[in-house]
Amino acid sequence: MIELSISFLLTAIVVFLVILFLFAIYLLFQHQREIRFSNTRDTFLQNHSQHWYNYLMNDEIFSVVLVPRGRAQVAAIEKIFSSYLKNIMDEKVEHKIKEFSNLYLKKFYEKDLSSKRWSIRMNALYRIADFQIDELLDTCQQFEKDKISEGEYFQLLKIYSTFQPELFIEKIKESSVNYSESEYRRLFVLLEDDVFIRLFEEFDSWNKNIQLASIDTAAVKRNMQYIDKLKQLLTHEVSEIKIRALKGLYEIGVIDEIDPYVPFVKSDMWEVRLMVAKIFKHVPLNYTYAYLELLLEDENWWVRSQAAKTMAENREGIAKLQQFMESSNDQYAIEMAQETVVRRQGIK
Amino acid sequence: MRLFLDYCMWFFGGIIMFYMLFVIVSYCAMFVIAMLDLRKRYKLDPSEYDDAHIDAFYSKPVSLLVPAYNEEVGVVDTVYSLLNLRYPQTEIIIINDGSTDTTLQTVIEHFRMKPVDKIVHTNIPSKQVKQIYESEIYKNCILVDKENGGKADALNVGINVSQYPYFCSIDGDSILDEKSLLRVMKPIILSDGEVIAAGGNIRIANGAKMQLGSVTETHLPNNYLVIMQIIEYLRAFLMGRIALSKFNLVLIISGAFSVFSKKWAVEAGGYSTNIIGEDMELVVNIHRLIRKKKEKKRIEFVPDPVCWTEAPQTLGVLRNQRRRWHQGLFESLWKHKSMTFNPKYGLIGFISLPYFWLVECLGPIVELGGYIYIVVAFFLGKIYYEMAIVLLLLFVIYGVIFSIASILFEAWSLNTYPRKRELLRMIFLSFTEIFWYRPLTLLWRCEGLIRFVLRKSDWGNMKRVGIAEKEKSV
Repeated sequence: MIELSISFLLTAIVVFLVILFLFAIYLLFQHQREIRFSNTRDTFLQNHSQHWYNYLMNDEIFSVVLVPRGRAQVAAIEKIFSSYLKNIMDEKVEHKIKEFSNLYLKKFYEKDLSSKRWSIRMNALYRIADFQIDELLDTCQQFEKDKISEGEYFQLLKIYSTFQPELFIEKIKESSVNYSESEYRRLFVLLEDDVFIRLFEEFDSWNKNIQLASIDTAAVKRNMQYIDKLKQLLTHEVSEIKIRALKGLYEIGVIDEIDPYVPFVKSDMWEVRLMVAKIFKHVPLNYTYAYLELLLEDENWWVRSQAAKTMAENREGIAKLQQFMESSNDQYAIEMAQETVVRRQGIK
Repeated sequence: MRLFLDYCMWFFGGIIMFYMLFVIVSYCAMFVIAMLDLRKRYKLDPSEYDDAHIDAFYSKPVSLLVPAYNEEVGVVDTVYSLLNLRYPQTEIIIINDGSTDTTLQTVIEHFRMKPVDKIVHTNIPSKQVKQIYESEIYKNCILVDKENGGKADALNVGINVSQYPYFCSIDGDSILDEKSLLRVMKPIILSDGEVIAAGGNIRIANGAKMQLGSVTETHLPNNYLVIMQIIEYLRAFLMGRIALSKFNLVLIISGAFSVFSKKWAVEAGGYSTNIIGEDMELVVNIHRLIRKKKEKKRIEFVPDPVCWTEAPQTLGVLRNQRRRWHQGLFESLWKHKSMTFNPKYGLIGFISLPYFWLVECLGPIVELGGYIYIVVAFFLGKIYYEMAIVLLLLFVIYGVIFSIASILFEAWSLNTYPRKRELLRMIFLSFTEIFWYRPLTLLWRCEGLIRFVLRKSDWGNMKRVGIAEKEKSV
């Protein structure tokens, strides 16, 4: 038995070693291919970056040398486009990239979408969205019918949100996949205001992640037309929604009346009290001082700290904090006020 | 007498052989899982995610904690690497744990630190904070000077001082890749907080070229001991962490680079100060807490974020490090022994802990036993001679084959394609592993076990030369 084991193990080792040897040779070969690929890509970049600059930025006439021949040149163009899109906000440039991609890159990505490899399909979907290749929309819809992963479906949603918002809302409604809040935020932030407001208006019909993501997106879009909806949500029964709405209103930063916020000063949840302390930053101190004084004596450290910061940021804030330190009996609150005053004076 | 000896030899030979087979099968399974996982992402463009999440709107703020005890050589580079991070919102908290060298002065002078009055919110009890400083150049950079209390205590102080919902612990001698934080935070952000801790991949930086806290070029160092450690790290990464992480079974995420939800870490009691492996201890405590609260939370290992760290270059320092690691592992496992095979802890109790007990903790005893067995068997005659050859061949599969496979697969999946000479050097060294490196590390790890039994804990500090200087010193 042992003799058999030895011969078996020896055979196994030899087989393994042969496989690994062949694998190593393949790797070295791959390494050479990779070098050749990068050389072609880099040469294209070196030779044509200026042409691209002239075409995209200086309105020079399109030259045929810009048309890619082979994958390495496509990779070079992807690099150029990505860097322009990342660094320059210019509709004209975006339009030219879109036009070029629809003409010359479309066929590459169309082919990639039928690749067996998930990563290649994903990369193609990224590019279709980034370079706005709307001529591939039908191919994408066709692609959706295949068995695709959640990641791919997410990318498709991103593509729909830019090319066909109506279809996007429809897909979101019927989708069985529940994405995370941060993913929904990535989708919503791309929507035009009129589409987003429709989505936001239908707030109660969405699942929790969509609801929270839409509040955050409304906040980041900083649009006055979302304020009323956010204010309505302050009475929502779910406390997380209430807190997010407060946060959203704080971020938009336009507080036209303080009455809706006053009841929250005595909320049972410290997170709510913290958000109110933040919101009062956007209101003159003479309207909020009495409430901030209460919040400065709050049992929660974060609330006290925020109340002190809010006061300190106001023009008469330091004087008011000093006045508070003399009159208050709450040692913790006094310490917090003191620290804030010292820091503020240090900054000055 | 001869009969007794025969029984003993058969008995121990059998145990060692079955153990080796068990380990080889487990490693193979984990290797295949890791391979499938990494291959899926082969050639996926990661910049798409990076660019999308560079905006604060999508990410969550992180406090970066750098505990430093006598790190005057490496701490400045570490802080620069943190300042270079592509991440929208961070604060850097350097905690000087009563260093006896010039760490404090170096940081104060280099980053123009100015004393500030700041009330520290004590979430976790810790040693006294002497003074807090803020940088005049970088507003998000804080220095905390405290009484010496060990790394765990320093991290606890960092947690107390931190203001963000997540913290990331980084060793005072480590360098982070600029996108590493963004990527290690990816599972946390995408899961909406279901992932409450994540650890990154640690690489050895000896031989790397550096400039102001960024690794600009990597080369395989000339020191064989360091190369062996590089291979060892690759193996641990492919045959362990990725597979365990897939099933939420991770028990160790390296303290050199890991992110935790502050809320969960505080609730789990922060880092334990009375134990050597404080990083493992925190992870196990969080797993306990998850089960206790019956919440659906995960701890993940993320393969691509890279943290560069300095590896020991001499046998003496490596010995200290390994026996300390092993003592820490044993200590943690022993402390949580009640979790092993406890149905209350699910797969952690039935897979993770038994795996760590059997393969990671007690493995060195069996393996060292195997080496001794081989030597003894060669003197005892024909039958044992053959048994010894079987064991030796198993060692070859376990040591050589897995090492070479890891080197090649890593180069393939992560598209790193090392230079031909470097690849061949690493493969060649893998063949020598079972003759010198493996027995040495086994000895040191067994030493760690003995020290745990004897309750010894007087550990020497690793003498650092600083990553940036390494090229000159190797």
